[in-house]
Amino acid sequence: MLFFALIVILVFSFSFSMDQDAARQLIAGIIWVAFTFTGIIGLGKSFTSELQNDCLESLQMSPAPKGAIYLGKVTANFLFMLSVEILLFPLFVLFFNLDVIEAVGTLLIIFFLATLGLSAVGTLFSALTVQIRAREVMLPVLLLPLAVPVMIAAVEATRGALNGDPFSFYSQWIHLLVIFDIIFTVVSFWLFEFILDS
Amino acid sequence: MIAIQVTSLSKAYGFYRIFEDLSFDIHPGECFALFGPNGAGKTTLLRILATLQTPSSGQFTIFGQDGVAQKDAVRETIMLIAHGSHLYDELSATENLQFALGLRGQSPSQPQMKRALDRTGIGAFADLKIRQFSAGMKKRLDLAKAILAQPQLLLLDEPYNALDYSGVALTNQLILETLERGGTVFMTTHDRDKATQIATRGGILQGGHLQLISSEQLTTNAIF
Repeated sequence: MLFFALIVILVFSFSFSMDQDAARQLIAGIIWVAFTFTGIIGLGKSFTSELQNDCLESLQMSPAPKGAIYLGKVTANFLFMLSVEILLFPLFVLFFNLDVIEAVGTLLIIFFLATLGLSAVGTLFSALTVQIRAREVMLPVLLLPLAVPVMIAAVEATRGALNGDPFSFYSQWIHLLVIFDIIFTVVSFWLFEFILDS
Repeated sequence: MIAIQVTSLSKAYGFYRIFEDLSFDIHPGECFALFGPNGAGKTTLLRILATLQTPSSGQFTIFGQDGVAQKDAVRETIMLIAHGSHLYDELSATENLQFALGLRGQSPSQPQMKRALDRTGIGAFADLKIRQFSAGMKKRLDLAKAILAQPQLLLLDEPYNALDYSGVALTNQLILETLERGGTVFMTTHDRDKATQIATRGGILQGGHLQLISSEQLTTNAIF
């Protein structure tokens, strides 16, 4: 995950090394391309340990509420993705010469909300595709169309925060992230039992 | 209360019928051994009883709970020991026991786990990761799980596979203990000699139909 993200940062930083203005315009999109695709790599692995020795069956046969298993997986994925993002972001600051001191708090909130949305829906699709032979291909194919609203909201909010815009200029995108988080978590929580049992 | 009640149960994959119209009852304190050739549907029937697959038609209840509509209630009473072993390769034997029993809402103490591992002959490997275990050791860890879980209904898929002589004796001891405390055992097996030593009743699944075997027929081997 980290290696992939480092490559993305390096490639983009060299691409825009001559044009810092263009880089500043695009940096929010670059950040979320790196975060999302890095996250998908992690999400794809979240159920692979259950493939060994038919461990998925032990989750299926557990009398515990399946929602609890889902929330456990979401929490693990969320913490893992957020940790990677927190490790990577200083590299973006360094390579793209970003001035983020005043926006750090807002950016952390945006990262938190967008990562929660991605991990909520990503965990569900990871469970759905884990037993498919071409799961590495199917996960992004299924996940990305649903994750687009989260990505757009995250990019717009991040751009606003990095440009130093007043909070009210981009707060609607943060509200949108909160709404998507609630919808994705509730629907995925409810659907997880059917996916695990099917 | 009947432990397993199967009524007109059928299973088909598309047009291919695995078995049809199976009906039988198994009472608490019984050990039922299911025999049959490869591909007869023994494991499919076991997996349906374990709530891992749904029947195409018919019903079954486990201790009075509907196996399709009340899955979670059924899952509290059963435990499956299958080929897959349900063990995480990256966890140690003790961690696997903690996790598996945690999923059942149980939390055995360290001394309890140590006793179960010692009893199954793998106490010395308690902290070893499962990826270093042999098939027989994994099977013994499954038995340790069952010793700690004490399920009302123990479902065993080919329980004697990969086990040495002492492992077979341990499996039979576990089955006896389950029966003594009023539990029920349902096993699928090809090992007629070992199974007839312990089973109280049985059946042969062949050609999609089940022929029940009484305890007398099992003892005398008259049906085989």
